[in-house]
Amino acid sequence: MAERKLLLEHAHDPAYATLDGYLAKGGYAGLKKALAGERQAVIDEIKASGLRGRGGAGFPTWIKWNGITKDKKGPHYLICNADEGEPGTFKDKQLLEQTPFLLVEGMTIAAWATQSDRGYVYIRGEFVDAARALRKAIDQAYAAGYLGKNIQGSGMDFDLYIHLGAGSYECGEESALMSSLMGERGMPRLKFPHVPLPTVAGLWEKPTIINNVETYSCAPFILANGGEEYAKLGASTKNSRGTKLFSVSGHVNKPGNYEIEFGTTLMELLDMAGGMKGGALKACVPGGSSVPIINAEDCGRAVLAYEEMSEVKSMVGSGGCMFLNEHTCIVSFIWRTSLFYANESCGKCTPCREGTKWMEQILRRIVMGNGQPGDVETLKEICSQIDGRSFCGLGDAAAWPVAAALRVFPEEFEFYIKHGRSMVTSGESVAMAPAWQQAVLA
Amino acid sequence: MSFDVFRDVAKPIVSGFGITARRLKADKVTVQYPEERREQFPRTRWRHVLTRYDSGLERCIGCSLCAGACPAKCIYVEAAENTDEARFSPGERYSHRYEINMLRCIFCGYCQDACPTGAIVLRQDFELANYEREDFIYTKEMLLEPIR
Amino acid sequence: MAAAVSTETVNITVNDIELVVPKGELVVEAVKRLGLEIPIFCYHPRLKPVGMCRMCLVEVGFKQPDGTVRKMPKPQAGCTLPVSEGMAVYTDTDAVKRDRKGVLEFLLANHPLDCPICDRGGECPLQNNTLAYGPSTSRFVEMKRHLPKAYPLSQYVTLDLERCIQCGRCVRFTEEISGDSQLAFRFRGASMQPSTFQLTDFESKFSGNVIEICPVGALTSAKYRFRARPWDLQTSPGICTVTPCGTNIWFDHRSGKFVRVNGRTNEGVNEEWTCDRTKFGHDFYNAADRLATPFRRDGEAFNAASWSEASQAVLAAFADGGEGVAVLVSPTLSNESLFMTQRLVRDTFKTNNIDFRPSGGLAWSERLENKYGLDPVGGTIADLEHAGSILVFGASLADEQPMTFLRVRKAWFSHGARVVVAHEVATEADSFADVVLRYNPGSAAVVAAGLRQLLAKVEGKFTPEHVESVSGVPADKLRAAAASLGENGAVVTTRRLAKPAAEILAVAAHETGRTFLHMGPHANTEGAAALGALPDTLPGGVKAETAGLDTKGILDAAAAGKLKALWLVGVDAFSLGDRDLVSRALENVETLVVTDYRPTESAEYASWLLPLALPAEQDGTYTSSERRVQHMGAILQAPGEARAQWQVAQELAARSGAAPVFSTSEVRSLIDSVAPDYASLTMAKVIDGGELLPRRGQSPHDLEKLAQTLGGL
Repeated sequence: MAERKLLLEHAHDPAYATLDGYLAKGGYAGLKKALAGERQAVIDEIKASGLRGRGGAGFPTWIKWNGITKDKKGPHYLICNADEGEPGTFKDKQLLEQTPFLLVEGMTIAAWATQSDRGYVYIRGEFVDAARALRKAIDQAYAAGYLGKNIQGSGMDFDLYIHLGAGSYECGEESALMSSLMGERGMPRLKFPHVPLPTVAGLWEKPTIINNVETYSCAPFILANGGEEYAKLGASTKNSRGTKLFSVSGHVNKPGNYEIEFGTTLMELLDMAGGMKGGALKACVPGGSSVPIINAEDCGRAVLAYEEMSEVKSMVGSGGCMFLNEHTCIVSFIWRTSLFYANESCGKCTPCREGTKWMEQILRRIVMGNGQPGDVETLKEICSQIDGRSFCGLGDAAAWPVAAALRVFPEEFEFYIKHGRSMVTSGESVAMAPAWQQAVLA
Repeated sequence: MSFDVFRDVAKPIVSGFGITARRLKADKVTVQYPEERREQFPRTRWRHVLTRYDSGLERCIGCSLCAGACPAKCIYVEAAENTDEARFSPGERYSHRYEINMLRCIFCGYCQDACPTGAIVLRQDFELANYEREDFIYTKEMLLEPIR
Repeated sequence: MAAAVSTETVNITVNDIELVVPKGELVVEAVKRLGLEIPIFCYHPRLKPVGMCRMCLVEVGFKQPDGTVRKMPKPQAGCTLPVSEGMAVYTDTDAVKRDRKGVLEFLLANHPLDCPICDRGGECPLQNNTLAYGPSTSRFVEMKRHLPKAYPLSQYVTLDLERCIQCGRCVRFTEEISGDSQLAFRFRGASMQPSTFQLTDFESKFSGNVIEICPVGALTSAKYRFRARPWDLQTSPGICTVTPCGTNIWFDHRSGKFVRVNGRTNEGVNEEWTCDRTKFGHDFYNAADRLATPFRRDGEAFNAASWSEASQAVLAAFADGGEGVAVLVSPTLSNESLFMTQRLVRDTFKTNNIDFRPSGGLAWSERLENKYGLDPVGGTIADLEHAGSILVFGASLADEQPMTFLRVRKAWFSHGARVVVAHEVATEADSFADVVLRYNPGSAAVVAAGLRQLLAKVEGKFTPEHVESVSGVPADKLRAAAASLGENGAVVTTRRLAKPAAEILAVAAHETGRTFLHMGPHANTEGAAALGALPDTLPGGVKAETAGLDTKGILDAAAAGKLKALWLVGVDAFSLGDRDLVSRALENVETLVVTDYRPTESAEYASWLLPLALPAEQDGTYTSSERRVQHMGAILQAPGEARAQWQVAQELAARSGAAPVFSTSEVRSLIDSVAPDYASLTMAKVIDGGELLPRRGQSPHDLEKLAQTLGGL
């Protein structure tokens, strides 16, 4: 299958980031349709489309939207999670910079469906350009009456605010994001079943919807063209509908964002990205750094869709697809990944705070050539002690890649521990290693 | 039975002296204490000693675990904080007062077992007699091993 | 905090044992009903659950219609999970045991094993849980975390960052209970550390509590540092006598010496908290200059004397002294001591010149009572928790009534009470007050009158505008305060507030049906007033036929040379203010007897210096500011020949012919015979948590007299 561009169709066009350009390409048709009908009709349309959360978990979007009380008592809030911190994922950045109106319209549609008064776009602190682009779009939308009081004469009020994060990966976790938005420390909060769902008590204990940039951006198309139309895409898969942006990076010739229909195979995606660079395919991390790594053999049979990916024991995640060639040292790669999680752990719960650090220490020791027999077993144990025991998903996300690498490439770890150097010693791999590591390898 | 002087008096005496005479050739079991002293078994547990590290610092950190372990409750420890000016032991804490009431001590060695640094040990000095009851309170100065 | 516990119940099973528990109760609390325990670190029943440490992980499932249990895929934190119908909790499966081992291994990975020198060693939850649930060895061979040790966070609290397990109890305490939000986490991940924001001093009036709730030895007491190990200590239940709250404490002592204070649970008073005055303010027990024998002045020198000489001398100076003698007593003495002293003064010294008040000008409850028939302590500390609105007037509660402050804050924090604070200066309570009324010094009564007018909806000259012109409180703010206070609630003030303002507030509270709390400043102010340590009132509130001199009168008379003898019992006259008057008074008295635990400034003038046993060195009862009578037994031995004041008083009385009294229980029966309030108490209850004196009830009369007070403003 080839690329199927719904969101990125006009992304190349700078005018699309302006209101006029957006309207010229049929923008705001979805909102107009939504405003003309019942609120529930929007939710039904989303339900028909089969849209699932694009942030990584794949939770059906309509259930969230439907879960918010229809009997409005206080304010409802809408949050867009644009704190895209997952290594390997950069789809939201492009959406914010090039198609900001899709997000603004999508959020306005969601606000209509859920009777929300205010929306917050929580943008990762480093995405200054994206925030500027969105700021411009929001200003234009206000000026043209697409935001603010009485939107397009519908009687609906909706304000949209931008909030820049302060550089914490953890704040991409929805409850930590809400803490951060409320001015608290960016630490995750209790979740269902310990406390009510965010749709009942979220931001400031008020009903709250929180979705990813890509999820909201899909809403305009679904409303404009009908949910059925959207659901036709990806019909070959079990339960994944529509298109998905994959951020392809690593040893490929043409890295970048590729929008594909669900059901496309991983190899087709690799072909779109111009194939491998510098060597044969060795492994792939298909959905952002936190999802389990898969080897070349599994890459050959991986189908990109939520349920299908579990057949190769991995996930679609947030769509950050990293292809690694044969000269990549998996041990170093995993050490670098775990260093990221050790740095980004918020420190709230014990398994994640202590476990990620410990894993990183062991992996660092192995990479420095001081591995000991038994390290692999200890690492496996630590992973199982973190996975499912941590407060939020970050702990799981830190444990999965390590556990998967140990499962998929055990021989590399054993070799490294036994010989104190990497199994992969071709010239290319050394060139790719950081300077101090090159010294070790030499 | 009739009484026979030779059988019942003279013979036992002579044979008794005979045993003694034979024994005269054997080595003596007793020693001439206090001029002579018998060697103690290596694990003999008598008088307590507070040991030091080779550096001369005290091992005792005043943790009071010996006092907690003591079944006779005869140990009293008062800790204080080391400063750079007055350093007694490595780390933060040392024993400022350390007293053992030897009248109560039952020499069970639990204090030695409990000690995390090996500071208090029971050694072979068994001559613990004294004239005044007060003298049986062994202070830290008495217990502490001299600096080598 | 057990979340919102309703009366609705649900059926759950714990380890397959069926159980009915209130809906919404947390799993960690529910299993306690079976006598089971889920190990915890970050969970504290009085703090909001956070689920940080993951020590309380349990397996949770739900009963399916077919009777099987479907377990949730992940273990759940028992400290945050509320129970619901059909829930099945498993606390001792292999998986749970493995999870606990895992969490403990993680916690110990970076925790230094310096237990032998740690002040927490021996009473450390981490030690206990490790012993009970932890792994026997660690696989951690990497470098441990190294951070500053023994960092002085304040003069009381020492922080050891290496030992911290980041449970957040201390941080949450300062946010949720004390409200000063002094502590916070800095940095993140494995480098996360609790401390003050800019490493400034930890300035809290309740900082001592974080030491007690810390589950490891990260926060330790600077005063207790290396003083003893827990097994060296003996502990006895006691009550705090340095604050008026009647805070329940554990009094820890070693070899007859006071060592430290810990909070003791009493839901009615302090829950389990202590203020820093209580926690760190008991060092006087170990004062180096404690008096151990009576001293006689011989010229410039003091020479030790015997009690019998001292008794003879005191009697010679005071007996039948009538108007020529006077006694000032301390309101921190026990009920027994105060009662026996006043009996001695009245029966043997034949005078009413006895007083315990710092000076005659303050607002005192018995006056209020006499004047209007209103009970000045119409509620308890615990009552405040459920008051809809609370007016804190003219008091810095955190300083004066720390436990009342915590309860007011809890009412706001946990139950949403609206709080209005009116005071001359900024107070801790401002941080959570709905409205803050900051009035000019001296204008308290006007503000009180203005509030009364708004609350009781009466006419008068104290319109908000008039109040603004006098007190500087904006008229809008006064109206907002009245609106915020609503229709009912409580009014809290202390005896430091000037008398007219207190009167107005008392009447206003009565008129609008509010609870009125007019709290005294010392550990036994209420007992001293109720048991007759006053010039005009006898025990049981009976009016004296002729009133004696009050404190001011006594000092004036002494200064004028009209007093032959003066006895200061536990009072340093120089602490009463007006040093000039005091020094003249002490110089001009022929015989000055000073009873105290150490030589005070007044002692320099004394003819006789008598040693006093401190509260923990004698058996006695105390009446706290909410009129709760509590008991403290003799925990320590008084130094040398120091005696309790009741013993001294009884010996003097016996020497002049009264029947001897041998024990405090005999004193208590004497009290019971004249003070019906005390007669109604049961000693068992007094010992176990304390018993409130019967409420006097409101019998208002002469309320119109208020017009006079108002007119005088």
